Amino acid sequence: MGDAPLLAVEGLCVEFRSRRGAARVLNGVDLSVKPGETLGIVGESGSGKSMTALAILRLVPSPPGRISGGRVLFAGEDLVTASDSRIRDVRGNKISMIFQEPMTSLNPVFTVGAQICETLGRHTGLKGRPARERAIALLQDVGIPAPAQRFDAYPHQLSGGMRQRVMIAMAIACEPALLIADEPTTALDVTVQAQIFDLLREIQARRGMAMILITHDMGVIAEIADRVAVMYGGRVVEEGTTRDVLDRPVHPYTRGLIACIPDIRDDTDARAPLSEIPGLVPSVWDLQRGCPFADRCSEVLPQCRAEMPLHRLVDGRKAACWQRAGGEA
Amino acid sequence: MTASVLQVRDLKVHYQRRSFNPFAAAPPVRAVDGVTLSIARGQTLGLVGESGCGKTSLARAILRLNAITGGQVILNDRAIEGARGTELRAARRQMQYIFQDPYSSLNPRVRAGDIVRSPLEVLEIGTAEERRQRVSELFAAVGLRPEQQALFPHQFSGGQRQRINIARALAPRPSLIVCDEPVSALDVAIRAQILNLLTRLQKDLGLAYLFISHDMGVIKHVSDTVAVMYLGQIVEQAPRSTFFSAPRHPYSIALMSAIPSASGRGRPAERIRLRGDPPSPMAIPPGCRFAPRCPMATAACSQSVPPLKEVGAEHLVSCHLVS
Repeated sequence: MGDAPLLAVEGLCVEFRSRRGAARVLNGVDLSVKPGETLGIVGESGSGKSMTALAILRLVPSPPGRISGGRVLFAGEDLVTASDSRIRDVRGNKISMIFQEPMTSLNPVFTVGAQICETLGRHTGLKGRPARERAIALLQDVGIPAPAQRFDAYPHQLSGGMRQRVMIAMAIACEPALLIADEPTTALDVTVQAQIFDLLREIQARRGMAMILITHDMGVIAEIADRVAVMYGGRVVEEGTTRDVLDRPVHPYTRGLIACIPDIRDDTDARAPLSEIPGLVPSVWDLQRGCPFADRCSEVLPQCRAEMPLHRLVDGRKAACWQRAGGEA
Repeated sequence: MTASVLQVRDLKVHYQRRSFNPFAAAPPVRAVDGVTLSIARGQTLGLVGESGCGKTSLARAILRLNAITGGQVILNDRAIEGARGTELRAARRQMQYIFQDPYSSLNPRVRAGDIVRSPLEVLEIGTAEERRQRVSELFAAVGLRPEQQALFPHQFSGGQRQRINIARALAPRPSLIVCDEPVSALDVAIRAQILNLLTRLQKDLGLAYLFISHDMGVIKHVSDTVAVMYLGQIVEQAPRSTFFSAPRHPYSIALMSAIPSASGRGRPAERIRLRGDPPSPMAIPPGCRFAPRCPMATAACSQSVPPLKEVGAEHLVSCHLVS
């Protein structure tokens, strides 16, 4: 793995304006992805996971949203300040994205083949017969049986797992350097989910593509991410290698999140109550001064409410917590 | 074992489709095709299966929300599959439903307190004063504040809405609650709160739960007995510890090995992978229904239907290869 990051997100802020004032949904997100690496982003709903993905590709609905600060460096180029035509060239070509809901992200009135050909035509200029052949090869690559017949199928004729495979075929059509997958299997059954992850892993190994995987499922992270970033209240609160973070979490939020998951491979038979994280995710309308987790944290210090903790290297990974500010775990 | 709150015998739910051929009826969708199970007081039966396997059809048929094609449903020693009128109302006091989606299952124009009171009114339980008191009790029992009775559903978070759903289900003092994926729409941190609440209520009130989920971790946490459903039938049923330590049906094994685990045990290499998607209940394969996707299937599997037979203490499996 090369040392220069393929994608570096630095201090990214996104806010939405309304009559009630500005809602800050991202509060200085820092992330980096190296070529060929898989970064998992995990967090509860409203933590800013999907917004981070949208902001990387400048897809934040605007107005009312806008990127109010920070940089997104892709291969050294800042996408936040890039021209519109340049960003269109990057989207779907250098960086592509798979969305959560395979039914709503495909157009129901066009055949899946036509939709793949559109992507190919836009970025590679491939049209007509060669485009059709390339699209069929892509459908074959993602494990769709009888790809030549499926080329002419409409989305409603395919199952959820097949539709997600079509989405993946479209996403990899232009051989992107980075694939962003936003909860790609949430709508699918576990046996189909396992098939989709095998496919993504195989494509990644074959093409050396980097991947950002957004999920709320720690199990999925354990399975396919090399590194993981835990998001809370529009910030990354802990980031490190997957094994470090899952086996020895240092941030109180990460610890709580891991403790409240019932695990089928847990050998204890006693049915003790699950541990809970009391309270709710903070509202985006509240102006954050201190740590966003302070109100729900069991180890809160006076300092936590007054000042935002900075990322520090703790036990081999980055964590933003005043408890760990001394550097020990 | 104490007396059963619910017994289901050979239950069938078939949906008739409209036929476009005037000379032949379309074959029915066999959503539930011969299910037998029972739940004792204070116990939880965890029902797992992929989408489309008939979990929800089964649950709705038990509550008489769906038409029953065949079989028996016995609630507190009374057969209710043919109950009508007052008899059905009496049965409905004893069984309630918690829905999956905390957003669409609450009427947005009705205040939380009135939502919780509605089953008491519909089922004509108690006087106005008693109902008012019961609603306050229920709000306290599920961890909501009394003044929240006056709020509308949109003013609550997902977890709080699920608490309103639970309070509504508890209102007529049922002995059976069907929980249909009650936590799958919630975040993990909130999920734990709701699961703990359900467990506490069960202990305090002696409720029986039919708990439907596709999440094995949740099933392991709440169940006393686990039943695995595939294409309208139960393929394996066993006490929780037996099931999780030694599942026998190839589908149960595949289902368990497909689940990613945060603890990092059970790496991808030791997995059984299923090919293809779950088949449709409109075109049920001959013989064992799982045979076309089964990694261990032999020629015999697609010829005859394997019976559900006992392979250990209270451990039922329907597979030709398990003896």
